[in-house]
Amino acid sequence: MRILVVEDNDLVADAITLGLCAAGFAVDRSDSAEAANSALATEHFDLLVVDVGLPGQDGLALVRRLRSRGATQPVLILTARDTLAIKVEALNLGADDFLLKPFEQDELIARCRALIRRANLYAGEQVNLGRMRLDVAGRMLRIDETAVDLTGREWLVLECLALNAGRVVSKERLQQAIASFDQALTPNAVEVYVSRVRAKLGDAAVIRTVRGLGYRLDDPST
Amino acid sequence: MIRALKSAPSIQRRLLWFLLPPLAALMLAGVYANYRAATAFVESAYDERLGDAAIALAGSLIKEGQRVRVDPGAVPTTAHRTDHLVDLRYAIVGAGGELLAGTREVPIAAASVTANPTFADALVGGERLRVASYRVNIARDVAIISVAESAAQRAVPGRFILASTWLMDFIQLDVTLLIVWLGVHFGLKPLLSLRRQIEAGSPRELKHLDATTVPGEVKPLVEALNLLFDVLAEAARSQRRFVADTAHQLRTPITGLLGNLELLMKEPGTVLLRPRLQALHTGMENLARSANQLLALARADPSTSFAEPFDTVDLQALAGRIVEINVDRALNAGLDLGVEAAAAAVRGNLRLLEDLLGNLVDNAIHYTPRDGHVTVRVGLRDGRPYLEVEDDGPGIPEDQRGRVRERFYRIPGSTGHGCGLGLAIVSEIAEAHGAQFTLESGAAGKGTLARLLFRSPVV
Repeated sequence: MRILVVEDNDLVADAITLGLCAAGFAVDRSDSAEAANSALATEHFDLLVVDVGLPGQDGLALVRRLRSRGATQPVLILTARDTLAIKVEALNLGADDFLLKPFEQDELIARCRALIRRANLYAGEQVNLGRMRLDVAGRMLRIDETAVDLTGREWLVLECLALNAGRVVSKERLQQAIASFDQALTPNAVEVYVSRVRAKLGDAAVIRTVRGLGYRLDDPST
Repeated sequence: MIRALKSAPSIQRRLLWFLLPPLAALMLAGVYANYRAATAFVESAYDERLGDAAIALAGSLIKEGQRVRVDPGAVPTTAHRTDHLVDLRYAIVGAGGELLAGTREVPIAAASVTANPTFADALVGGERLRVASYRVNIARDVAIISVAESAAQRAVPGRFILASTWLMDFIQLDVTLLIVWLGVHFGLKPLLSLRRQIEAGSPRELKHLDATTVPGEVKPLVEALNLLFDVLAEAARSQRRFVADTAHQLRTPITGLLGNLELLMKEPGTVLLRPRLQALHTGMENLARSANQLLALARADPSTSFAEPFDTVDLQALAGRIVEINVDRALNAGLDLGVEAAAAAVRGNLRLLEDLLGNLVDNAIHYTPRDGHVTVRVGLRDGRPYLEVEDDGPGIPEDQRGRVRERFYRIPGSTGHGCGLGLAIVSEIAEAHGAQFTLESGAAGKGTLARLLFRSPVV
């Protein structure tokens, strides 16, 4: 997996580059939007990590240009300015995630993994999540190479949680994911399916209940 | 915050106070003058008629030899008036003072009576009389004719005049007062519309007032206000720019330092240095948190925050977001962090409210020991939106609950991890939102319950 880091501050860029390399990514670095544009013209990257405050053209302009060209790879925005306007603008422009400085290396690595995984899940590719391997196209789950038998709704619950691994998924959202016209849902259907999935995953993955909010599949990479 | 304890009376009230009493006094004087003029006119008309009666009596005198005698058949007993007849009493006295006709009860108006009727008021037997006396010469003889009528009879039209004058003048007074009131009211309308314009605009918007529709007297005031708004808005803008620039200048190097430190800690060769590196890392994290808190405080400062745009903020969504951000920290600290939220929305600034709730949750997670619970609650109580963070940690001693809101204050002996700004930030942001911020003990007297009660919900 190849990542392009666009960051002008050497101290930050070095730390990010080395940290991501140590996590197993191939990392290239650009110190300006202009340099990033020429790198993007010739090379393929699975993910972009872009700082907003770049000299010359800023990071948001880079994202705008990228999306206007029709590029779909995920973009993680870094910024030291935590104004809401920047956050909203970044997400509107088509950035996929937003990380406020200062952050911990592990947080950055987890976000990068999640973004790449989500892109692959959307693309219907096979995704590894710790000991689990999800085959989205074939609706197949393997744990340590052993196929796990999941019903349709159990798969939908797992898929929804896996797409958002490391994030809390609300009960309402899971309910929508498993709702279908032919079968009526009991009010506690989500709890029932989540506990069934939990039982089938065993100790391969942890699905946490966040009181009052929903469920979260812990990202095994953190 | 400036509060007028006692406001000066309004211009409308002042105008009415200045105009109404003198106008009312003037009207009363008018009533009196009208009454006097009307009664004087009526009096003279009555007197003239009384005089006519006396002259008419003269026609009944005849000279008989040396004596003057009254021809009883010719004595008019009544004076004719248009509406009713009035009883007349009279006395005809000879030159020697002898009564020739009539009654002695009628006095003579004056000592020297002339050939023209003389009038006087008299009191005879407890009755007030009006008397007209008149001297007649009959063939070189003299007789004095006195005619009297009861003053009470005259009082009837006098009262009628008084009543009608009062009535007319009071109607006039009322109409005048109404006109004055309406005039003042409509004259001050531009001021009222200016007031509405000021009240309608949120003070955070610092929007210019329309100076084109205000009267000339107020125009300089409005223009001065608009100028002040500009200065304030510019000051707030530059303060915000400063905060944003500072944030950037502080956070970027901290990110770089933290990142390199974390890389260093993972190097196999640094195992022996790890405790020192860990201490450095903790210090760096505290520095980062302090920088964040200082920036949050600067954002929450009234001079900056009053120009922050206010929108509808969904408290339920806010609570969910802040809890989600903190789930991992809570898990690492062995805490159960949860939400109990019902739909509630307020008018506010999302960024500031995020700072507020973030600080409350951060405090609760930091101070609550392992296996504790932290719960964020959102909802409506008596129609007012509230935001609560409750923990079952050690709680804040009652005598410290006021002081912990002060900037940089830390409870003696506490293991503070920031720079003692968290609750100061919460206080400032609460104030900017007109919300009530209270610190209580949690359920069963244990832990801390931090509560924000907002004024009114957004529907």
